[in-house]
Amino acid sequence: MDTPRPLNLIAELTYRCPLRCGYCSNPLDWASVRDGLDSDAWGRVMHEAAALGAIHVGLTGGEPTLRPDLREIVAHAAAANLYPHLVTAGTLIEPAGLDPLIEAGLRSVQLSIQDSDPAASDAMAGTESFERKLAFARAVRARGLPILLNVVVHRGNVDRVDAIIALARELDVERLELANVQYYGWALLNREALLPSRAQLERARLRVEAARAESARPEILIAIPDYHRERPKPCMGGWGQKMLLVDPSGRVLPCHAAADLPGLEFWRFGERSLAECWGEAPGMNAFRGEDWMQEPCRSCSERARDHGGCRCQAFALLGDAAATDPACGLAPDRSAILAARDAAEGDGIRPIRHRATSAS
Amino acid sequence: MSARADLEARLRAVGEERYHHRHPFNLRMHAGELSAEEIRAWARNRYYYQTRIPKKDSTILAKDGTDTEFRREWIGRIHDHDGEKPGEGGLELWLELASATGCDRDEVESLRFVLPGVREACDAYVEFVESHDLFDSVASSLTEMFAGDIMKVRIAAFEAHYPWVAAEGLRYFQSRTSQAPRDAAFGLSWVLDHADSPEDAARCVAALERKCEILWSLLDAVEAAARRPELVPHAEVRNDSAEDRTLVVLPERAVALNESARELLDLCDGEKSADALALEIAHRHPDAKTAYPDAHDFIAHMERAGVLACAASATAG
Ligand code: SF4
Ligand code: SF4
Repeated sequence: MDTPRPLNLIAELTYRCPLRCGYCSNPLDWASVRDGLDSDAWGRVMHEAAALGAIHVGLTGGEPTLRPDLREIVAHAAAANLYPHLVTAGTLIEPAGLDPLIEAGLRSVQLSIQDSDPAASDAMAGTESFERKLAFARAVRARGLPILLNVVVHRGNVDRVDAIIALARELDVERLELANVQYYGWALLNREALLPSRAQLERARLRVEAARAESARPEILIAIPDYHRERPKPCMGGWGQKMLLVDPSGRVLPCHAAADLPGLEFWRFGERSLAECWGEAPGMNAFRGEDWMQEPCRSCSERARDHGGCRCQAFALLGDAAATDPACGLAPDRSAILAARDAAEGDGIRPIRHRATSAS
Repeated sequence: MSARADLEARLRAVGEERYHHRHPFNLRMHAGELSAEEIRAWARNRYYYQTRIPKKDSTILAKDGTDTEFRREWIGRIHDHDGEKPGEGGLELWLELASATGCDRDEVESLRFVLPGVREACDAYVEFVESHDLFDSVASSLTEMFAGDIMKVRIAAFEAHYPWVAAEGLRYFQSRTSQAPRDAAFGLSWVLDHADSPEDAARCVAALERKCEILWSLLDAVEAAARRPELVPHAEVRNDSAEDRTLVVLPERAVALNESARELLDLCDGEKSADALALEIAHRHPDAKTAYPDAHDFIAHMERAGVLACAASATAG
């Protein structure tokens, strides 16, 4: 098999984060993963990723701005001719702190805000952070960088879509992504408190359509979560196809949650080249292509589109990473999805368990 | 008020509110604020509308085989547009107008450089008449009720603000100052005679509103073509050697361009209008029959994709 071209490098610079979101998809034992790569090592990652064909690099975490050497890392990314994009909660950088990053070549910022309502936003983040985020957004716009605003929608905030869109307009963002919770890690523990009802989502979708008709800016993305659909999401454009993730310890993965899958061997950058970690690690090849598929995926006409769905979800819900994603209507065992769907009916707000401040 | 007078008042109110005399492009035209380039683009594009008129009127004529008086009257519109012989008629006068503004007459007549949005609007008018009955079709033509006035404003505006357009070029407008009211008077009384119920009245109003909408969107398209596209500041254009293509890299996405798209993108400098760019591309590639509308479609597409940002026309406030 030809090694696929990774278009997008996700550089998880650290798992540390001052926030404690109840939908965080970082591993539950995040605190045991140390920041293993220094800025020069990240620089080598960038150059080797570019050589493999990567175009973008998302500098993420955890909270990447906790890295004191972030400026050097951005400079390495730019030198490697990657398009550096910072994914941040925006609570740590002072406006002036942006300037060296921009000079080093930072091109765009993804800012996550938890809610349009300051108190609800702070409650979800587990810290007082809303006002700092707005100040950060204004500082980014004042410097001319585009902002992609990311708001994870869940049953507690999805009815405030109008206010969220108004906030996005006020902050003059390029794009608003009303993101679905990814039910791994902390989010899976909190699924009952997070998964919106079908009716809530339908209302939100109509609001978004109305907002799009009003103005083309910002672009607004919203997708119905796979829990409420009959076909799975084409996760990451296919396992080990387009996205190359390097976690804080240097481990090379196909996505955020893959490290939790048992029995898969992934390799660490530094011990081997990035090309080897990407192309040859047994874990990376475990679900590449279609050879691993079972029925009904194996003979399904949709398999080139959705790649059988998400491996991590199949494992998290069925205990078998090679099973058809239970989000698919054709999957033999959908009980977990259907039960979660039933549990999501009704609009009540339910308590959230926050990400732990240290290893649990 | 009688039902007849009431319907007439409602039709006049539609015109007052929705006829394109209120369109920002016409307001700027009449205030003397359009550039020569905008005037030319308008004259060239509006010619497509002119060519659809005889088609529309033939369709109307074909709808009813019983009303001799109606036919005798309506056929006059076709004669007005086509003339009795070469060198006469409304279409000819429009071509003279277009030449007087500096357009290449053959180019205008070829209809090669018609904006996609203008084509769509004008075709929608013909389709409306094809798919509706005689009553709706005649009602839709009643924008003529408001055409006489706008022609007078326009003549004055051209004389005052665009003296570089030779006076002979204005003969189309002059001819319409008398034709339009005459045609409108006939159309209006015919419609009022045939509107027998409140439902008829509602259909009639709806047909006129639809027509106003079509004229409005024609000008929307002309106006949009004067905007000046430019690469957004955070976009990075690079050669993607791995796959032998150009990529425009944006936050979290990249847009692949083929060779002709790249050629067009390289011309977008924030100074030239979309229309000027499309014309330039079309002239560079005379064999590519759809180069002009394709270029406009591409610019619109790239704007939606966040690759290009378009500033208002150089003269718009
Ligand atoms: S989801 Fe919240 S807690 Fe988790 S890394 Fe992102 S900002 Fe930090
Ligand atoms: S059966 Fe497998 S390939 Fe077919 S739609 Fe479902 S997940 Fe996709």
